[in-house]
Amino acid sequence: MAALRSKRIKYFFILPSIIWVFAFTLFPLIYSLTLSFFKVRLGKPLTFVGLFNFGRILQDYKLAHSLKVTLAYVAITVAIQVVLGLLLALLFHQEIKGKTIWRALLILPIFCTPVAVGYLGLTVFYEEGGPVNSILMSLFNLKIPWLSHPTWAWVSVLLLDIWQWTPFCFLVILAGLQSLSEEVYDAAYIDSSSEWQIFRKITFPLIQPVIIIVLLLRLIESFKIFDIIFSLTGGGPGTATEVYSLYTYRTGLRFFDFGYASALSYLLLAIVMVVVNLFFRRIRQVYE
Amino acid sequence: MGVVKRKSPVFSFIRYVLVVIVVCWALFLLYWGVVTSLKPPAETFTISGISIPFVQFKPTAENWRIELSTRESRSALLNSIIVAIAATAIALSLGLPAGYALARFQFRRVKNRDLTVWFLSQRVLPPVAVVIPFFLIMRSLHLLDHVLGLILINATFTLPFAVVIMRQTFQELPIELEEAAAVDGCSDFDAFWKISLPLAVPTLVAVAAICVAFTWNEFLFALSISSLKAKTFPVYLAGAEDTRGVQFWFIATRTILAMGPPVVLALFIQKYIVRGLTFGAVKG
Repeated sequence: MAALRSKRIKYFFILPSIIWVFAFTLFPLIYSLTLSFFKVRLGKPLTFVGLFNFGRILQDYKLAHSLKVTLAYVAITVAIQVVLGLLLALLFHQEIKGKTIWRALLILPIFCTPVAVGYLGLTVFYEEGGPVNSILMSLFNLKIPWLSHPTWAWVSVLLLDIWQWTPFCFLVILAGLQSLSEEVYDAAYIDSSSEWQIFRKITFPLIQPVIIIVLLLRLIESFKIFDIIFSLTGGGPGTATEVYSLYTYRTGLRFFDFGYASALSYLLLAIVMVVVNLFFRRIRQVYE
Repeated sequence: MGVVKRKSPVFSFIRYVLVVIVVCWALFLLYWGVVTSLKPPAETFTISGISIPFVQFKPTAENWRIELSTRESRSALLNSIIVAIAATAIALSLGLPAGYALARFQFRRVKNRDLTVWFLSQRVLPPVAVVIPFFLIMRSLHLLDHVLGLILINATFTLPFAVVIMRQTFQELPIELEEAAAVDGCSDFDAFWKISLPLAVPTLVAVAAICVAFTWNEFLFALSISSLKAKTFPVYLAGAEDTRGVQFWFIATRTILAMGPPVVLALFIQKYIVRGLTFGAVKG
């Protein structure tokens, strides 16, 4: 870091961004914190209600439900995505002809518009003669109520999310694998260790930092889930798939209960901060 | 590369079978969308199984022709393009110099590392946490249902990409070039503008593509603050379902139209995707 200069011009470079973040991120957050202490109605003056909105959180059974749905969703999808991503990365880390092309095709889902993925899901999981059911029908004589049954609706959402984000985990872990040096392996082969031992004792410890980053990024992103559920199930059937973001969105922008919705968003923010803090030291090391 | 070399042809065969299965799985939704968009509406539900075009039915471009001649659809596409380009332009023009400053200068009061993490922390924020204040702010600025509101919000949420990735890019460029230029009497600004920036152009393009893709795919804010004339394509897509029922041929056409631009962009920036999406934490 010794080469770094210290000059006036640096403020000219960095201040616009800092001001922008203050104006468009911190100000809205503070504004939202203020709102959470008020009863807000459009076109009417604010009424101060103290901690009333936060008190409501404790008694809101719909919130408790959506929180449960969200946490379960985050835990399950992230776990599956990372494990599948690791397995795929190990598969692609072998000698395969045309690897770049296969890889390029495999990662296309990452960039698909999530809300559109949900609508495509609607056509794919269509219960009467949709492709998934008609394949299952002809193979196993099975008809699954993908969208009309609460549990299956859940599974459809999970499947779509896993479809979209496993390629991301795969891609990053593969990059991690490819950055490992070959010499480590040569030594291991001379010792004639088994494949499994090489993976457990050498590969896995070496790519663990990469896996932690993937895990963190997926955790953060998963808490944001909104689009796919909005388009695929709309939170239904009933409220079976009503995740936190959707519930907050509806409270605020469908029922215009801005004060309570602000309190809700602070709770979500707090939860995400707790998760991120578990990784905070690691994050800071990366940007040394 | 640490590549495990297997001699057995059986293993090699299994490996290729797995690769093909995985790629088919990854492309299935896209395939299904394209195929459904090419089916004549009358046959959408009668063609069974995986509906291979030409074999099971005769593809038609009729759905596409109708979709692209709908005024609402074209205006949504145009809005999406405007918002994506303008938001990216703002994010880059703010983030590029900030990234450069974080790479090249020493900040004392708050360390460079912590400033970087501070910029990054914005991506941690769940968008729904600020959707209500944004709605109320845009309402009082009379920017509800206006593309400018969407441009400001999307610029904010793509800024961390620009700052963090550009910082890393500049860190990796040799500082000696700038030092040599300074000896020749080049100003600090010129050292950035004429020496380092041209070298950073490939990453800059990749960052721009990522910002465009994320803005294009953004749905929650667009849904919240646009209703009619500022509607972006994803919001238009979401409105289509309840207005027209289960007309899968239109839904499929629109979803493919929505996904097309970001997916095509992704094909061009292969080399930078890992770095871009992990904020430089993993080098691709």
